[in-house]
Amino acid sequence: MQYVQILVLGLLLGSIYAMMASGLTLLFGVMRVVNLAHAAFILIASYLTYMLYESLTLDPMLSLFITMPLMFGLGVGVYLVLFPRLENSPRYVEMTVLLTFGLALIVEGLLTFIFTGTFRTVRPEYASTAITVGEIFIPTSQLYASVISFALLIGLWLILRFTKTGTAIRATMQNRAAAQIVGVNVRRVSALAFGFGMALAGAAGSLLSFMFPFFPAKHWQWIALLLALIVLGGMGSIKGAIVGALLLAVASAFVTDTFGPTWSPITFYLTLFLILMVRPQGLFGAKLRL
Amino acid sequence: MAVVEQREELVEGPPGRKPGTRSRRVTLIIALGVVLLFPAVAVPIFDSYAYFMQVGMLMLMWIAMSSSWNIIGGFAGYISLGHGVFFAIGGYSAGLALAHWDISPFLFLPFAGLAAVAVGFLAGLITLRTRGPAFIVATIAMLFLFLLWFDNWEFIGGSNGLDLPLVDIPVRWLKVPFYYAMAISAAGAVYLSYRVAHSKFGLGLRAISQDETKAEVAGINTRWYKVWAFALSAFFIGTSGAIYGYSLTHLRPLTFFGIAVAARMVLMSIIGGRGTVAGPVVGAVLIIGINEFAVRQFGQTELNIVFTGAILVTALLFFPQGIVGSLRKAGRLPAFLDWD
Amino acid sequence: MALLEIENVVAGYGAGPDILNGITLNIDAGTSYCIVGPNGAGKSTLLKAIAGFLKPRAGEVRFDGTAMNGSRPDQMLAAGVCFVPQDATLFPMMTVKENLAMGGYLITDRSLLRERMDMVYETFPALAERKSQSAGTLSGGEQQMVTLGRALMIEPKVVMIDEPSLGLAPMIADQIFEKIRGFGDLGITVVLVEQNAVKGLETVDWGFVLDLGSLEFEGPADGILADPRIRELYLGKQLAPREQ
Repeated sequence: MQYVQILVLGLLLGSIYAMMASGLTLLFGVMRVVNLAHAAFILIASYLTYMLYESLTLDPMLSLFITMPLMFGLGVGVYLVLFPRLENSPRYVEMTVLLTFGLALIVEGLLTFIFTGTFRTVRPEYASTAITVGEIFIPTSQLYASVISFALLIGLWLILRFTKTGTAIRATMQNRAAAQIVGVNVRRVSALAFGFGMALAGAAGSLLSFMFPFFPAKHWQWIALLLALIVLGGMGSIKGAIVGALLLAVASAFVTDTFGPTWSPITFYLTLFLILMVRPQGLFGAKLRL
Repeated sequence: MAVVEQREELVEGPPGRKPGTRSRRVTLIIALGVVLLFPAVAVPIFDSYAYFMQVGMLMLMWIAMSSSWNIIGGFAGYISLGHGVFFAIGGYSAGLALAHWDISPFLFLPFAGLAAVAVGFLAGLITLRTRGPAFIVATIAMLFLFLLWFDNWEFIGGSNGLDLPLVDIPVRWLKVPFYYAMAISAAGAVYLSYRVAHSKFGLGLRAISQDETKAEVAGINTRWYKVWAFALSAFFIGTSGAIYGYSLTHLRPLTFFGIAVAARMVLMSIIGGRGTVAGPVVGAVLIIGINEFAVRQFGQTELNIVFTGAILVTALLFFPQGIVGSLRKAGRLPAFLDWD
Repeated sequence: MALLEIENVVAGYGAGPDILNGITLNIDAGTSYCIVGPNGAGKSTLLKAIAGFLKPRAGEVRFDGTAMNGSRPDQMLAAGVCFVPQDATLFPMMTVKENLAMGGYLITDRSLLRERMDMVYETFPALAERKSQSAGTLSGGEQQMVTLGRALMIEPKVVMIDEPSLGLAPMIADQIFEKIRGFGDLGITVVLVEQNAVKGLETVDWGFVLDLGSLEFEGPADGILADPRIRELYLGKQLAPREQ
C-alpha cells in the first residue's frame, strides 16, 4: 500500500513537471534554444502570484489567467528583441545558452532586489488540506495543480495538432529549412512558440507558488531538474518530456522514501549526467548536434 | 621569487617572434612591477590599506581563474559552467590538509592544483563525451552533483562548513602573504595560457573549436586534447581556491560552487575576448574594477548580479568576440595586448 | 518583360567572399531552363539568393516587374517562386499526405487544397499508394517525388529545383526528369540546377553556363550540348558519359 501511495504522489507531481518541461522542450525543438532562464521566468510568475495573493487575496489558480498571457507577451518580446540577432552566429546554440544564462542572472538579481532572498509561499486554504481515497492520501493542492497541468498539456496538444499555427510549429520542429520552403514564416512561428513555452512557465509559476516555498536563487534547482527531464526524454520531443517527467518524478519519490528528502535531487542530476554520457539523444529525441 | 623566474622564461619564449616583442616585454615588466610593488605603495598611502590589498588579491584571483577557464572554454571552444568544482576541490583539499595535518595551504598549493587536475581529468573523461549545448548542460549537472555531495559530507562539515585556524600574522600584514600567493597563481595561469596558445597543443585546440570533425580527420586525437585541456584548466583554479579559502578561514560549499563563480569566469573571458591570451586578463581587471566601483558608489546590492547578467547579454549581442577579439578584427589591437 | 529578372546580383555567405559576382539573367514564362557549370560556380547560391534564403549584397531580383530584394522565403513563395533545395527537406515524422498538405500551407481554401492534392496524386501515382506512410521511411526516389509534389501544391509560377538527381540511381533519376519535363504542361516555369549537365540540358529548352560566380554563356540547350568549345571550357568531365 505504501508503494501505491508513493506512486500516486509521484505521478501527481510528475504531471506538473511534465507541463513545465514541455514548455522548455518546445523552445528547444522549435528554436534550438536551451533556455537556462526558463526556471527564472517561472519564478517571475510565482512572485507575481504571491503579490496578487498578498494584495488582493486572489486565488493562485485564478492568477493563471493573468500570469499566462503576461508571460506569453514577455516571451514573444524577449524572443524578438534578443534572438534574431544571434540567428547568423556560427555557434548559435551555444550563444543561446550563454544568453539565457545572462537572462537568468538578471532575473534572479532583480527578484532578489525587489523581494529579498527570504523564503515565500502562497497559502490559500487548500494548501493545507488533503483528501483520502481508500488508504491513499492526496494533498488537495497537489491534486488541483496536477489537474490544471494535465488540462494545459491537453490544450497544448490540441493547439499543436489542430491549428494552423500548431502545424507550423510542428513542421518547424521537424525540419526548419523545409518549413521555410513551404512558406512558414519561421521567425513569427518561433516567437509564438516562445510565447507558448513562456505561458506554460507562467502557469507553472502560479501552481508552484502554493506547493513549494520559493526564493530567487531557487531557479537553479528547478532548471537542473527540468533539463534532466527533457534530456531524458530527448530534447525537442514533447512526448519525451512528458514520459521523462513522469518517470523521474516517480523515481525521485521512491528515492526520497528510501534515503530521505536530501537525496531526492540526486535522482535528477545523476540521470541528467548519465543520460548525456550514455545516450545523448534521450529516449525519443534525435541526436543532439552542435 | 617564482614570479621573477617565470618572467625570464616568458621573455625568451618560443621562436618566431612578431614585431611587437619589444612592446610586449615592456608591458610584461610594467605589469609585474605594478603587481609586485602594489603592496609597498598601498601601505603608506591608503588608510583603507586592507581593502586595497583585498581588491588586488581578488583581481589576481580572477585573472588566474578566467585565464584558466579560457583554455577549455576559449581555445577549445567547450563552454563549461561547472568550473566551480575545481575551485572547491582546491579550497577544500588545502583546508583539510590544514585542519587535519596542520600543513600550511601556501605549501600545499601545488597539491591543491594537482587535486583539481585529477578531478578535472576524471570529470573530463565523462563530460567530454558530449559536445555543444549537451556539454554545457553536463557541466551544470556535474556542478550540482558535487554541491550535493559536499553539502551532505559530514567529514568536511557538510553545508555548515569547515572552520580553519587563523593565520598567525599581525592584522596589518595579514593580507600580504595571500596577495603574493595569488600573484604567483595568476602569473602561473597567464604563463600556462601563453604556453598553450603558442604550442602545437594549443593549435590543436583551436582546430577543435573551429571544426572538430576536420580536426579529427587531420589526425588530432581530439578526445585526449580536450580531456587534457579540461584537466589543465583546473590547476590554477585549484590553487586559487586554496588561497581564497584560507583567506576566508571558513569553507562553505556554496562559496565555491555558487553559479556566480562559474558565471564570472565565463563573463570575463567573453568580455575580454575568448580564445586570446590577453582577453581574460583584461576582462578580469575590468569586471572586478567595475564591480568594486559599483559597490563603493551604490553599496553591496543584489543589483550586482543584474549588472553581471546585463553585461553578459550585451557582450553576446553586440561584440561576441570581446574587447581583444573585436580590436584585432578591426586591426586596432595595440601591440601590448597582442599575446597570441 | 521577363517573368523573373536577375540584375547584377552579388551574394555570399556570412562574412565570407562574394560567391556571385554580379549575375544578370532573365527567365521567361513558358520556357524551361537549366543552370550548369563546374563545382563552386555559384549555381545553388543563385537559387538561394532568388528564393530569399540569402539576401543579395547588391543588384536586384524582380518578379513580374516587382522588386523582391530582401524578401523572406515565405513572401517569395506567396508571390509564386517555389524553391526545392537539394538536401532532403521533408518532414520526416509526418505522412506523405501531411507533407503535401504542408506544401499548401499558404492556401487557406480547404477545397482547393484537396483539389491540388488530387492533382499531385495524378502526377505522381506512386505517392497515392503511400499516402499514410511517414515520409522518413520512403526511398530516395520517393522522397524526391514528395518534395516535387509538395512544390506543385502551391501551383507556383516558377519552380527552382536544385540537383533533383542527387543520390538517385540513374533509372530513378530518369523518371524524375521525365516528371519535371511535364511541369511545363501544368503552366509552371522550371529552373533546374544540375551537376549532370547532359541530363539537365536534355530536360530543358534553354541553358545558362555559370563559372566563378558569373554568367559565361547562355543559349538553347541543344546548342550548348552540341558546342564542343563550351563543353571543354566549362563542363569538362561532366559531359564525359555522352562521349563514351
